[in-house]
Amino acid sequence: MIELDDRTRAIQRQARAWAQELKPLALELDQDPDAIHRHLDVAIVSYLTRMTVPPEFNPDPVVIDGRPFYGTGTLERVVFAEEVAVGDAGMLLAAPGPVMSGVLVDAMGDEQQKKWFYSRIMEKPTWTFFALTEPDRGSDAGAMNTTLTPDGDDHFVLRGAKRYIGNAARADLGIVFARTRPGPLGVTAVLTETSAAGFTAEPLETIGLRGLRITAVTLDDVRVPAGQVLGRHLRATQRGMWSAVQGLNRLRPGVAAFGLGIARAAYEYVLANRRTLNTAERHRLDRLGLRLTELRQLIWRSAIAVDDNDPAAGSLASAAKARASRLAEEATLEALGCFGPGARLDHPLLDKLARDARGVEFMEGTGNIQKLNLFTGLVQGHLRRD
Amino acid sequence: MTGRTAAADAWIRYRRTARQDGLVRALTLLCETVGDGGPPRGPGGHMVVPVGVAGADAGDVVTTLTVEEGTVVALRSRAEPGVSMTPRQERAAWALGLTCLRFGLSERLLDAVLAHLGGRTVGDAKLLHQQMVKGGVAEAVIEQLEIETMLAGATPGDLDDDVLAGLNAQITETDRMLLRLLGAVSFLADGPGQVARVSELIADVHFGSARAGEHGGAA
Ligand SMILES: Cc1cc2nc3c(=O)[nH]c(=O)nc-3n(C[C@H](O)[C@H](O)[C@H](O)COP(=O)(O)OP(=O)(O)OC[C@H]3O[C@@H](n4cnc5c(N)ncnc54)[C@H](O)[C@@H]3O)c2cc1C
Repeated sequence: MIELDDRTRAIQRQARAWAQELKPLALELDQDPDAIHRHLDVAIVSYLTRMTVPPEFNPDPVVIDGRPFYGTGTLERVVFAEEVAVGDAGMLLAAPGPVMSGVLVDAMGDEQQKKWFYSRIMEKPTWTFFALTEPDRGSDAGAMNTTLTPDGDDHFVLRGAKRYIGNAARADLGIVFARTRPGPLGVTAVLTETSAAGFTAEPLETIGLRGLRITAVTLDDVRVPAGQVLGRHLRATQRGMWSAVQGLNRLRPGVAAFGLGIARAAYEYVLANRRTLNTAERHRLDRLGLRLTELRQLIWRSAIAVDDNDPAAGSLASAAKARASRLAEEATLEALGCFGPGARLDHPLLDKLARDARGVEFMEGTGNIQKLNLFTGLVQGHLRRD
Repeated sequence: MTGRTAAADAWIRYRRTARQDGLVRALTLLCETVGDGGPPRGPGGHMVVPVGVAGADAGDVVTTLTVEEGTVVALRSRAEPGVSMTPRQERAAWALGLTCLRFGLSERLLDAVLAHLGGRTVGDAKLLHQQMVKGGVAEAVIEQLEIETMLAGATPGDLDDDVLAGLNAQITETDRMLLRLLGAVSFLADGPGQVARVSELIADVHFGSARAGEHGGAA
């Protein structure tokens, strides 16, 4: 079993306390995703606006028990994400901040680009987006069709469409993946401003996780300065898809932690609201409690592996993510079953959890894709079994 | 199954209509053909019906959901939940009809998966022809074959409440398998995933496990 150190336990305690503020807002945000604008002052939301900004760009980190927290470590981030998702996963995803794009900027940005990106983030609450998926290319992202072509000496032009992009309609800036030439090495990431001519983002109505406001993005000859192309100082093999995969590996334990948080929220809802439980139900809930603990351990293990640059990190994160999305679905359905006919109508928060749980499957790779990653890690020897 | 197929024809209609014409048409047909005094409520006093089908005094609207070809409302009775006034035979007909209808919707979802993934590619191959996808589709079809076989030839009262509740849980699980196969399309409010959501709601209202004193009262 993995145990947290004092420092990580401190952020866990703080996140748990902050998350209490989210529960009463969860259904409001579900009804009206724009409600996030009214809650930017909620302590946790305001922390999220700067979470993951590295120390050199963040003079004003959150201080807990006398220690500064930047949210740059994967373990502290997953511990934090679980607690916030127990409060409300929708709010966690709706909050402004650098999260997904920040990981890519850290990995592929030069000093100038980092300065530009983080100064925008620190100026005011700023939403960012990360646009990889295309309408015809979901899991097969390496075969994307969006193009980035030179237009004079110091500009490029983006053409194409992206789909299911979180927060793009409320974002000021983000990252778009596009192709400069055929083949997997021809994929590049560019920092893009949503105010650029030709950039449009139409919100899509979803069944759950409505706070995230996923969108359909159209890139109609969007001009981007050459200085915004990420990774130009890196070797060709380290740009584009390679970096995207590295970035997603770092983020995946966090997505698993959302799933865990949703599952735990459903479990805790039953404990708090069922007046009596019969023996069989108590047994089923105990079993669910154990499965939550097992998944939490696996997520922590994958997060520690990411922080240690362990080659097994990607495989462990895939295992954790695949398990988390299924457990979120199972736990929320199980919880509804504890409340009798009409539970979905009489317990709207539980209904929302069951709807939110369905979305975790697709974020950052479906269950099948995680299983394929895991298998590759296994046969390539990354996943040690001693 | 032999000898009971003729009696089952009426029930096949709900399933076929659901598969071919969708949720609202099938639910309207069921409401029109079963139940003299309007569609029955579930044991907790709730109802899910096409908009306009329930009478004005049927209860408070809890939620309104738009699906592919119409709108349904979920209502909660203002009266205390208790023993249903609907005759037993009628309740049995309604329960079987709803199960057949939900099964037809599940078949419609499978059709949507085959069409959607058949039109997508990974590399040069059809996404539908990836081995894991084929396996996933086959798993769902095994579930559907079991459910179909159980429902074949059934007339009201043949399958008791526990069996119907079990079949409905199985339909929900099968739908979830299919939704995962559809990809993010299944998470959009204007697609097949929304129909599956309403289908789950119908199961929750009519087949959710009954426990005295536990329903009602959002916490
Ligand atoms: C809530 C939410 C938020 C999202 N946020 C973002 C975002 O911010 N940015 C972004 O770029 N994208 C985002 N996405 C998109 C997400 O990354 C994609 O939905 C995901 O990659 C799957 O793609 P798809 O939906 O097109 O499904 P498809 O790729 O079409 O997959 C359909 C089915 O086929 C299976 N499958 C696919 N390929 C294979 C294979 N090779 N072998 C076996 N099975 C396979 C899948 O597992 C799935 O079951 C988001 C999606 C959701 C639902």
